[in-house]
Amino acid sequence: MLIYTINRILQIIPVIFILSVLVFGFVHALPGDVIDTLTATDGEEDPEVRAALEKEFGLDKPIYVQYFIWVGSALQGDFGKSLVTRRPVNIELIERIPATVYLALVGIGLSILIAVPLGTLAAVRRNTLTDYSAQITSLAGISIPEFWFAILCILLFALQLGWLPSSGYAPLFSEPGKSIWYLILPALAVGFRQAAFTTRLTRSSMLDEISKDYVDTARSLGLSERKVIYKYTLRNAMIPTITISGLQLASLLGGTVVLETIFSWPGIGLAIYDAIQLRDFPVIQAGVLVLGVMVVVINLLVDLLYRVLNPRVGMS
Amino acid sequence: MTEQQLESRQRIDTINPNDTPFAIRMRRLRTVSRNALDELLKSRTATIGAIMMIMLLVTCILTPVLATHPPTKPNYRVRLQPASADHYFGTDKFGRDIYSRVLWGGQRIVLISIAAVVLGLALGIPLGVFAGFFGGRFDSISMRCVDGLIAFPGLLLYLLIITVAREWKLEGFWNDSILVFALGLNTMPEIARLTRGTSMVEAKKEYVEAAHVVGEGSLHIALREILPNIVSPLIVNATVRLGYIILIIAALSFLGLGTPPPTPDWGSDLNVAREHMESNPMIAVYPGLAICYSVLAFNLFGDGLRDILDPRIQER
Amino acid sequence: MPGKKISNTFGKQTRREFLATTSAGIAAASAAAMTSMPGAALAAKKKGGTLRFSTRADARGLDPQRNIIYYVSHPLAATSGGLLDIDGNMDIVPAIGEEWTVSDDMKTYTFKIRKGVTFHNGADVDAPAIKWNYDRVRDPKTSHSFHRSFFKLVKEITAVDKHTLRIELDSPSAVFLASVTYYPINLIAPNSVDQVDTHPIGCGPFKFVSWKRYAKTEMVRFENFWQTDAAGNSLPYLDAIVGYPKKEDKVRLTALRTGEVDLIENMSYADAANFKKTQTANYNTWDIPQVGAGYLAVQAKQGPFAMSAADGKLMRQALAHAIDREAIHQAIFNGLSESLSGFYSSASTWHMPDIKNVKEYDPEKSKAILRKLNAMNTPIAVVARQAYSYMHQTGEIVYSMLEEAGFKPTNEKFDNPVLRKKYKKADYGIDSTANSYRFEPDQWYSVNVLSTGPSTMLRTGYKNEAADKLINDARQTRDKQVRMEMYTDVESMVNEDCALIYTHGIPLTSAGTKKLKDYKPAFAGPFNISNGGVRVAYLEG
Repeated sequence: MLIYTINRILQIIPVIFILSVLVFGFVHALPGDVIDTLTATDGEEDPEVRAALEKEFGLDKPIYVQYFIWVGSALQGDFGKSLVTRRPVNIELIERIPATVYLALVGIGLSILIAVPLGTLAAVRRNTLTDYSAQITSLAGISIPEFWFAILCILLFALQLGWLPSSGYAPLFSEPGKSIWYLILPALAVGFRQAAFTTRLTRSSMLDEISKDYVDTARSLGLSERKVIYKYTLRNAMIPTITISGLQLASLLGGTVVLETIFSWPGIGLAIYDAIQLRDFPVIQAGVLVLGVMVVVINLLVDLLYRVLNPRVGMS
Repeated sequence: MTEQQLESRQRIDTINPNDTPFAIRMRRLRTVSRNALDELLKSRTATIGAIMMIMLLVTCILTPVLATHPPTKPNYRVRLQPASADHYFGTDKFGRDIYSRVLWGGQRIVLISIAAVVLGLALGIPLGVFAGFFGGRFDSISMRCVDGLIAFPGLLLYLLIITVAREWKLEGFWNDSILVFALGLNTMPEIARLTRGTSMVEAKKEYVEAAHVVGEGSLHIALREILPNIVSPLIVNATVRLGYIILIIAALSFLGLGTPPPTPDWGSDLNVAREHMESNPMIAVYPGLAICYSVLAFNLFGDGLRDILDPRIQER
Repeated sequence: MPGKKISNTFGKQTRREFLATTSAGIAAASAAAMTSMPGAALAAKKKGGTLRFSTRADARGLDPQRNIIYYVSHPLAATSGGLLDIDGNMDIVPAIGEEWTVSDDMKTYTFKIRKGVTFHNGADVDAPAIKWNYDRVRDPKTSHSFHRSFFKLVKEITAVDKHTLRIELDSPSAVFLASVTYYPINLIAPNSVDQVDTHPIGCGPFKFVSWKRYAKTEMVRFENFWQTDAAGNSLPYLDAIVGYPKKEDKVRLTALRTGEVDLIENMSYADAANFKKTQTANYNTWDIPQVGAGYLAVQAKQGPFAMSAADGKLMRQALAHAIDREAIHQAIFNGLSESLSGFYSSASTWHMPDIKNVKEYDPEKSKAILRKLNAMNTPIAVVARQAYSYMHQTGEIVYSMLEEAGFKPTNEKFDNPVLRKKYKKADYGIDSTANSYRFEPDQWYSVNVLSTGPSTMLRTGYKNEAADKLINDARQTRDKQVRMEMYTDVESMVNEDCALIYTHGIPLTSAGTKKLKDYKPAFAGPFNISNGGVRVAYLEG
């Protein structure tokens, strides 16, 4: 296991390399002139200003040199400075990433808390009222556009009932009470949708497991139904659930842009989206790369967990 | 289990050792289609899903006949009209016929999502099966590439691809192709990983080893033995994905990155209708319901299809 | 220095304490005014509170000379101040520059600087400090080209003494005052230049505390702000203001309605119409009739609509006849603001009622022209900016109007970098766009109508020698009435030539809770104005 783990960690390096090339390539393929955007106004074009700015941001060098300079300083933790705010990119990221991670983690946590019991129950009590209501709820969760659900939540909980704030953000550590208060609606919007997915998945993998031969064998050996379900089946059925939850968490890191817009949640997705619009390439590059590394690490953890849970898969 | 059900199970599962694999498959297929209606009617979910799905597809095909107005033609003299004999669903902010827009928008979005999922499957399944089955170097390399893609977080991949593609002045069909490409590319990793994970489990199972002992080639085993066994999770995933893609397109439109106006588009129509949510709520209802309906149809149908295709899960 | 002491407590001090500690330190005149009116000071004690407000946009960065502090939109606008101010009508009024004289040749402007004005860190706002600021703005390395463009004509800036500033120009200008107002040129404390990107020190009514981009901007009352109310109490009244930028119109409105903020700007047009019908009992609304003008910029650099094309003018007129302004008024703006025949709507002091040659909506006329020129189904690309829905929605509607009138239009929206590239390459037909409000008309005409104006050259390629001459002459004419007449003629030519087709005023609706008293934004939206906006507003209770 240790050797395997080390091996996997080493495998991350090429992935990050591929990612860095992808990001850099995409960002530099973005249409529109960066400097032009930066100075875009009614004002006149000034070749000197342009040259100075190109020099300042290293745009005067050949593209591959730019890449190596970027990677070189990124390895030392320096992502340059934002074209737009002129603050170090690190500041921009440090302000934004925690907000997204916070939302994604709580959302996924919430979804697992809802989905695993619900999915298991639905599978065990197949074709009962419990099953049907679980299925209908999860189908609704999957079918409603995320932003639509969020807007409806705001209309109901914030506007009609006045229970929760409609938008905003407070950091967890400095203002914990307020922070959780603001988090509830966005986390609900994230969690509801993810829970819908996970419930379906848990239910169907549970059904898969229940129908397997070893369950019959276990039953015939006189093991209690409860023990069969919760000790053996659930454990096996959790494997896809965990895989998918991990992937969901990873995809949420860049996938909450829409909810961030609706709830004015100052996350990294929104920051990168803005940066794309403004062609603030140091922020796009750094943001996507850092998120990407986080995704890779999460995937690694999911993979390791997958093996711990499913010993039948070899360690090769 | 009723006698009839038992019979139908046996019909599928009995394998005559003298039959060629092809004959077995054909027989299985024949049995399945013969039983399809039976099975369908047995499962309420499947029945409802199939009816909804067929209605959706028929509507998409018949759109040119059913639509009453050109979808992109505004008539700003009849804007924000309520439903009437001339405009079944009323008119939108620009005086366009909502009914016709919902129809044409549906045809587009359904086609795009099907194409994207097919692309994702076509790329993901072979990769996953081979990686999971052969393991080793092929597994490492292909999974690193998949990881690189997965590491590109969430919506950001689409945001970048679509922003880059804007430059190419693509219109109509080609513009949608970019969307299909981006969505398909993003579907692929999940499919590949899922396929790989399941293949890894299956590859260790007795029947594969048995096949090895009998002396069948690896590729043959992968295709004939493993593929049918991973169909079930893939179908669940692909159908969920179909609906999910509709939602992604809607989300992209929400961010203003959908198809440029005035092309009918459920997502951007919903977004524009949001402005009038309090004064003319019905405008937002139609595209919203259309999205929910289609996603629901795909999901229900997926569930049903799964029950039919996977003989292991029968009513218990 | 007492001011410094207070800044450390971030406004937690009561007004009485503030008066006690500062009366010795601040300028003699205003101190005398305050202490001589204890009743007024007591009454003022009630005015205060922390205003939470929500805007659509947020600053891109903190340095007010490198980033456009867009005066209608950014919370940070409350921290900055300029040599002169604008009032509720967007007229230029004295501020830190108390008085000024203009030489007869209109090449030398001399400003008398108010005594006792300080930056937030206690440094004096005096002539040398202002000169330092203006030199910084003139230096391409340290300023944004937008700000720099206002100092194009400046030859030399001299601090004659501590309280006298002289600005000499290369050529005569009657409009230079508009270049030294709070918007566009803001002042920062020279000794704070190192922290300008992290903690800017300005001289506006509120002091910067913290900024989290697209989340929160905190500002506290600047106790030494130079302006006082009629009773002599120092402004502003509010103890602190907190800006919460929320991009989505709906989100802002909901935040107001759920009591999370006290003031919002920029309601969506559909919401504004509805809100006023249903919510006036609970909220105050302020209709700002014009934040800018929407117009269609025709690409007249090359192709069938070009200035140089034989039938270019007729073709452009065919475009103009196809545009139904009333439909735009209803469909896009929900009946707010008004259709335009020139840049300034009827609410402006620069409104020109006698503009001629507006091409009336008559698609048959368009068709007739096209038929006559054998140009039916001439292709034309309607483009618009993605970021502003009214722009691309107007684009959509224009697309259909052009189709009705016999053109063969296409319709696309782009983000700004791509659009600018298209302008440069003349790769578009008609751009549905808008320009934010220019309270000095020269800033509109010299940039967008004058044939050598940067925006003209970038986009339309419009050229009319008579108009050019009028614009250049108007720049050197002091009398407002005479200038209005000149601009009226310019607008009539613009309407005849149809390279710019004015469509509609861009309205803005702000709304606040009933608790917010005395708030009044300027005619074009800014909330930091002389004797108005956040300077005089306060919260009850």
